[in-house]
Amino acid sequence: MKRGSKARTTLVTLIMMLPGLAAFFGLFFYPMLVTVVRSLRPEGEQAGWTLEHYAHFLAEPRARGVILLTFALSISATLCSIVFSLVLCLVLRRKPRGHRFFRLTMLIPRVVPGLIGALGLLLLFGSRGWVNLLLLQVLRFVDEPVAINYTIPGLILFYTWLYFPFTAVTTLSTLEGLDPAIEEAADVSGANRWQVLRHVVIPLITPGILAGSVLTFMAAFGAFSIPLIAGGNYRPLSVEIYRQINFTPARWSAASARAMIMAALQVVFLTIYMRILRRPSV
Amino acid sequence: MRRFASFHIDMSRFASLHIDMGLIRKYLRAILNARRLLITTFLLCFALMIYLPFTMIALRSIGRGWFGRLWLPPELTLDWYKWAVEVTNIVDISKNTLVIAVLAVTMSTLIGIPTGWAFGRRRIPGKEVLMSMILLPRMIPPIAYALGVAQIFYRLHLVDTHFGVALAHVAICAPYAILVLSATFEGLDERILEAGSVCGASPVRNFFHVVLPLILPGILSSMIFTFTTSYNEFTLTLMTYGKDTVTLPVRTYLAIGEGYWEVTSAMSIILVVPSILVLFMIQRQVAPEKLVGGFKGV
Repeated sequence: MKRGSKARTTLVTLIMMLPGLAAFFGLFFYPMLVTVVRSLRPEGEQAGWTLEHYAHFLAEPRARGVILLTFALSISATLCSIVFSLVLCLVLRRKPRGHRFFRLTMLIPRVVPGLIGALGLLLLFGSRGWVNLLLLQVLRFVDEPVAINYTIPGLILFYTWLYFPFTAVTTLSTLEGLDPAIEEAADVSGANRWQVLRHVVIPLITPGILAGSVLTFMAAFGAFSIPLIAGGNYRPLSVEIYRQINFTPARWSAASARAMIMAALQVVFLTIYMRILRRPSV
Repeated sequence: MRRFASFHIDMSRFASLHIDMGLIRKYLRAILNARRLLITTFLLCFALMIYLPFTMIALRSIGRGWFGRLWLPPELTLDWYKWAVEVTNIVDISKNTLVIAVLAVTMSTLIGIPTGWAFGRRRIPGKEVLMSMILLPRMIPPIAYALGVAQIFYRLHLVDTHFGVALAHVAICAPYAILVLSATFEGLDERILEAGSVCGASPVRNFFHVVLPLILPGILSSMIFTFTTSYNEFTLTLMTYGKDTVTLPVRTYLAIGEGYWEVTSAMSIILVVPSILVLFMIQRQVAPEKLVGGFKGV
């Protein structure tokens, strides 16, 4: 009887898990498999195996630039997000007036489509946008409009704008989970504000910051809509993939090979990142 | 204007006296003393940075003849909204977007409830690994599997159907629903359920009168989050849409390509206002922070 009910429990658990597993295998695993197979087939054919799409892309002199660009953009956006989030969260933690409003403001880049955010940033930082007008007419630092859109620093700025909430939210929640007694202890022991921050607070919240920044990094690495409309001549991997299927006829195999390279790189970077994250001495 | 000019001179003097440590220390102390002011300025800049892009879009969408170095459009008009409704057929597009989002939310919730229950209440060997597997679609760039989804859906003739696009969205929405709901079920107190059955409630009655009210907030927040995700989803839609299933984000993208920035802006405002309103409305009921976090253990 006991064994029978145990088997039944296992069966019920399995049945309950089924929808989730079906969604995972049907909508993620199987499509990934199709992508892998497609990337190994000659273009437009259903049979035969080839590695030419990988070889072709990796042999292109541009390929290294594309991969480097993708990596450079996402890592610099991640670093900017960390610095910005840290300052923002240290300020918000003191619960200044209207902090609820700022906490919601922090989430706005994540609740609107990236496309719209990019459009607004393009308008704001364009040669006729308010930022350039401010520089030209009020501060008079420059005589010509500064080119921000369609440049690398501009892209980093846009990425940071769009993806910093991941880092900021985790940082803030870690900061608020911090026991105030620890800081008080440091304070009582004669550490000044800066020392408390540098030697007590920051080491304690580093795991939280890193966990959040992983999300920022992953999102930035896979960013698609921003570089698509705001990238100009700079095309990271995702846009490069999309370009392949926009040719007529669509180059599905070439696109799939690039997608697999992208997914592989993502996993590799993620593994390295997790290694750093798990290291106890950080 | 004068104030800014004097600020400029100060800056240059500061640069020329770079060895004078005393002065630098004085400046630093002044900055420290003005910390309140600094914090206010910082927060103000932050808010401006987030909201100004939308202000620019809003101004662009109601302005006419806004060229050259002008701060505000010289003429106001609602023509671009009229265009958006007439030319880009925004009514139908909004309907598509909503139908797809509702379908995606329904499917994700139906997937999320049983699976979340199993994850939250049952002992599963290798639960952590299984959970990170289920969350994989949110970590791998969507474009990577969107390619496969598109190819499969072409074969199954699911491309350009509302159901097909919604199903593609489920790939991203379902992991989220499972995650949120498993946390909800995990938080259920065993003793309350026992109390229900001790008092003589049948399992069905127990579920409807005890469990459901307790998990309803979790279901609601999962629904809101999946709705937002589907409403804003771009990559997967772009790979599976057709002329009858254009959604708002895709239409906005197409409009940007067509180069009509004013009409695009009008459409963006129509698309964005509901999202921001919903965010400010739900903030008291559910913790909207979960919208971006929720990867416990990653």
